[in-house]
Amino acid sequence: MSLVNFTTREITCKIVYYGPGRSGKTTNLQYIYGRVPEGRRGRMVSLATQSDRTLFFDFLPIDLGSISGFTTRFQLYTVPGQVYYNATRKLVLQGADGVVFVGDSQARRYDDNVESLQNLQENLLAQGVDIRQLPVVFQYNKQDLPRDLILSPDELDDALNFRGVRSFGADCLHGHGVFETLKGISELVLQRLAAGSSAA
Amino acid sequence: MRVIEPWVAEPLERFLAESAARVVLLTTSSGQVVAQHGFTRALDVMSASALGAAIMASTEELGRLTASGASRSLSHQGPSRGLFLSAFDLPQGRWIGLVVYDRDSSLGLVRLFFDRLVGELQAVAPAEVPAREVLAADFENELNASLRSLFGR
Amino acid sequence: MRLDIVGSLESITRVRGVRGAMIVSAEEGLVVAESSMEGIDGAAVAALTAGVVARLGRATEAAGRTAPAFVHLQAERGALLAVPAPGDLLVVAVTDAAVNVGLVRLELRRAAEHLA
Repeated sequence: MSLVNFTTREITCKIVYYGPGRSGKTTNLQYIYGRVPEGRRGRMVSLATQSDRTLFFDFLPIDLGSISGFTTRFQLYTVPGQVYYNATRKLVLQGADGVVFVGDSQARRYDDNVESLQNLQENLLAQGVDIRQLPVVFQYNKQDLPRDLILSPDELDDALNFRGVRSFGADCLHGHGVFETLKGISELVLQRLAAGSSAA
Repeated sequence: MRVIEPWVAEPLERFLAESAARVVLLTTSSGQVVAQHGFTRALDVMSASALGAAIMASTEELGRLTASGASRSLSHQGPSRGLFLSAFDLPQGRWIGLVVYDRDSSLGLVRLFFDRLVGELQAVAPAEVPAREVLAADFENELNASLRSLFGR
Repeated sequence: MRLDIVGSLESITRVRGVRGAMIVSAEEGLVVAESSMEGIDGAAVAALTAGVVARLGRATEAAGRTAPAFVHLQAERGALLAVPAPGDLLVVAVTDAAVNVGLVRLELRRAAEHLA
């Protein structure tokens, strides 16, 4: 739930990057960390295994600046994608204001995407959150790979994006689509905040 | 001291003075900072809060999985400083306290006065959270400008 | 060891006017063992006594007198007595006003030696 400080006029929102293992969730945060000026981001905390796979989460706070007179901060988290880390995913998902589902565009990862999306729905439901009520955008990463290996954003939309929410093709390694995705989820989260307008 | 809710300030001030702790953070269970007091400049508050919430969440979950009962507080003792984490419930939801202390205090003192802090917060916390207007409906332009400047576009 | 500790505390609490006795970890201010009458908040006494003894120790050490060997806090309705013990422990007694302080101090020291 977004935290609103009316005294200091600050808003803090939690965004979770969700998706199957190796789909590029951490890469999103690393690209954002590399591009955002130092004064507008905090330290990036990564709890990873020795092989650099996310063990618990990555965490990156960024300062969006002043919006409607509120200093607005987003706390970006990733979850570990590997199937057996579900307990950890549930914990990170707690209190999320918005979710970016990072899908892997490779055709051979199709089932992993579907499984991860179902897992997201289940984990949200376990916390009493209906995915239809939560700001969610899709990002289809690795669109830079050869055409014969991947599915197009339209094909992935057909397979995953039943609600027709915003989706973005991306190549996170080179930064394509990272900004657009963050912008998309930011708008949805702040729209909901503007509509709901309640203090934490 | 920085607090989001003004009713937190007085009990928090008293806690730090009585326990002689260095830093106290109060966060939501999802790791968002509600209040901070003490030598917070020496601390990456946001990262500490995110990690503290994660530790508490995983500890409680581990307690549930092993049927050993959900642990509501835990402590780490370093060579010169200690860390105390504890979860408690308010009408506003579950909050977590993260306290850093050194040789001017002790785990016993921190625990003692933290229990009192929780009691005081539970006594003064408003039962209902009033809805207030947050963002103007046309915030998108400002958001777009902010994000453009953030990414240097 | 556990029985020894309980035995030591019992010899302190047997002294007339002693309301409670406890072994406290000096650094953490936590109760290690306790034998107290109702109305004594052991956790609070342990935490606060360890804090006071640590501060008094700094004062006596700053004055070049080394750490205190015995701490006696006299209040209107009784006293708080503490003796450091090996292993970073404190033996603490809470007493009424009418108590033989010398005898309690002797038992505290015996208990402390027992912990060595």
